[in-house]
Amino acid sequence: MSFLRRNLPGMLVMGIPLMWIALFMLLPYGIIVTYSFWLKKYPTFIPAFQFGNYITIFTDPQYVRVFLRTLKISVLVSAASFLLAYPFAYYLVFRCRSAALRTWLYMAVIAPLWVSYLLRAYIWKTILGTEGVLNSFLMSLGIINEPSSLFLYNQFAMVVTLTYIFIPFMVMPIYTALEKIPTNLTEASADLGMGPWRSFWTVTLPLSLPGVAAGFTLTFCLSFGDFIAPFLVGGPDGNLIANVIATQFGAALNWPLGSALAIVMLVVVLTIVSLSDRMERKGMTGGV
Amino acid sequence: MTIKKTMLGTLGLLALTASPVLAEGTINVLTWEGYADPSFISKFEETSGCQVNATYVGSNDDFAPKLMAGGGVYDLITPSIDTTKLMIDLDFVEPLDTAKIEGWNDIYPKFLALDGIQKDGEYYGMPYSWGAIAFMYRDDAFDTPPTSIADLWREDLKGKISLWDDKSAIYVAARKNGDMNIYSLSDEQIAAAQKTLVEQKPLIRKYWATAGELVDLYKAGEVVISNTWAGYQSSLLADEGVKVTEFIPKEGAEGWLDSWMVVKGTPNKECAYKFLNMQLSELGQCGVANVNGYSAANASAAKSCMTPEQFAALHQDDPAYLDSLLIWTPLGDRFEAYTNAWNAVKAQ
Repeated sequence: MSFLRRNLPGMLVMGIPLMWIALFMLLPYGIIVTYSFWLKKYPTFIPAFQFGNYITIFTDPQYVRVFLRTLKISVLVSAASFLLAYPFAYYLVFRCRSAALRTWLYMAVIAPLWVSYLLRAYIWKTILGTEGVLNSFLMSLGIINEPSSLFLYNQFAMVVTLTYIFIPFMVMPIYTALEKIPTNLTEASADLGMGPWRSFWTVTLPLSLPGVAAGFTLTFCLSFGDFIAPFLVGGPDGNLIANVIATQFGAALNWPLGSALAIVMLVVVLTIVSLSDRMERKGMTGGV
Repeated sequence: MTIKKTMLGTLGLLALTASPVLAEGTINVLTWEGYADPSFISKFEETSGCQVNATYVGSNDDFAPKLMAGGGVYDLITPSIDTTKLMIDLDFVEPLDTAKIEGWNDIYPKFLALDGIQKDGEYYGMPYSWGAIAFMYRDDAFDTPPTSIADLWREDLKGKISLWDDKSAIYVAARKNGDMNIYSLSDEQIAAAQKTLVEQKPLIRKYWATAGELVDLYKAGEVVISNTWAGYQSSLLADEGVKVTEFIPKEGAEGWLDSWMVVKGTPNKECAYKFLNMQLSELGQCGVANVNGYSAANASAAKSCMTPEQFAALHQDDPAYLDSLLIWTPLGDRFEAYTNAWNAVKAQ
């Protein structure tokens, strides 16, 4: 009795989250894995244990093609986010003298996260469209004579939209990583005769790599699973893997194939996460 | 809004949390926008004492997943004639007591003869509204009006063409190839249709998924020609001041029919049948014709509540028009071959 009373708070504190994980993460994954071995049969599907769905994914070129396209888009989004986020975070941490300005700029990056994802993606449609803001702007400058349809409904529009939406997840970890670097390290490097560029390449950048890796992981995984941007701003060649999965669960009524696709996708994402985890740890131990 | 709804439809979790509450004297209908419009449902609610809760679908593909996700929520559904058979085969719906539905015999015989709404001599669906999958173009973009499906493959319209993101794309491409047996295509014919669609792909601006999306595409000047749900998007565009014209191409058009079906084991049978009677009466038939611009399945009700102009415009007095449509047919176990080919086109 007293044992229970003594341990009850602890059991509750640990037990509820564990139950949550079991109920809402492990159990659904188990169900998905089970479905992935089932068999499509009109009108729906029947229990079975066979690898047909996985074989289809790797032999039918349409699935491989969509996986590669998703991979390409995710890498482009992560790279674009990195190129924009790193100088920005660097400026905030090392160059921005005013603390108030720094807070404001940081908030400016975070604030869009409070706005609905759907709304933010939708806005890019009005910016990039044939009669959109960008086209009117370029025409008023005389750069183009007639509206261009090159900006919307293609992979470019998807990369732009996803970069805009996920860039906070790149800025935050890089900012944190840069903030942790003691300024005396760069000073020491300068004292030893290194120019600012050499100092950056040999001291600052390597020390911030764990943050970069975290940012890459986050933006990559988020883009990899996205299905709204293709729907809103993607063109006929914009189908990503999440759209294919949604189709299998909806229109095609082929939950087994949809589940198998989801499992393959999960494996890809988990591989990326564990690779980046390893990189981060290496960065930590090899660094300071 | 429509896009948002489709999103909701796709997210099963949200669908669950958005499930309407069960209450006595309340019927929950899973249907298309407009089919439970307050303009006529309010009157029904007053006179019948039954409350109506409507949840909207964005596509025929939403019915099965929603009913599979958990039963006991919806009382009535309105799948189209290519999906009704699936509902019956999935055992989601129950046979109708047609004796309890006034006006049943006024429904166009052509609809009552359709295989998709019956099984073992019993009716499972009550024909409600119908129309064509017509084609549509922007008036100011054409000197000579288009007349053929082949116009959606014209190089000079590159980047200005849209097509419905649906397996019906296969039907369109098959007709372009000269295969008119669009609901019983062989594997070779489907492969040929797939190839034709892949050829069209560089010309496509965007495949449209929802009615609202197609309206936006025309409004923003992105596309000038596409297929459409006859009567619906064109009237929405007319309201926006965009001049478009619908046409039936020389290769013919598909026709659709939506039917009300009663979900198996509904506890609200009395209200459900009151609702069915209302929908087949003048109130429901002209209700949907006025809101959505769709034609009515009950010819005599339509005749008494429509103006002669509307009666003619909706082809209610034109059996030849109805006969010319290739009415959607359930694909059965061939369904997968069609959806797979369409998915392969999109993956290209």
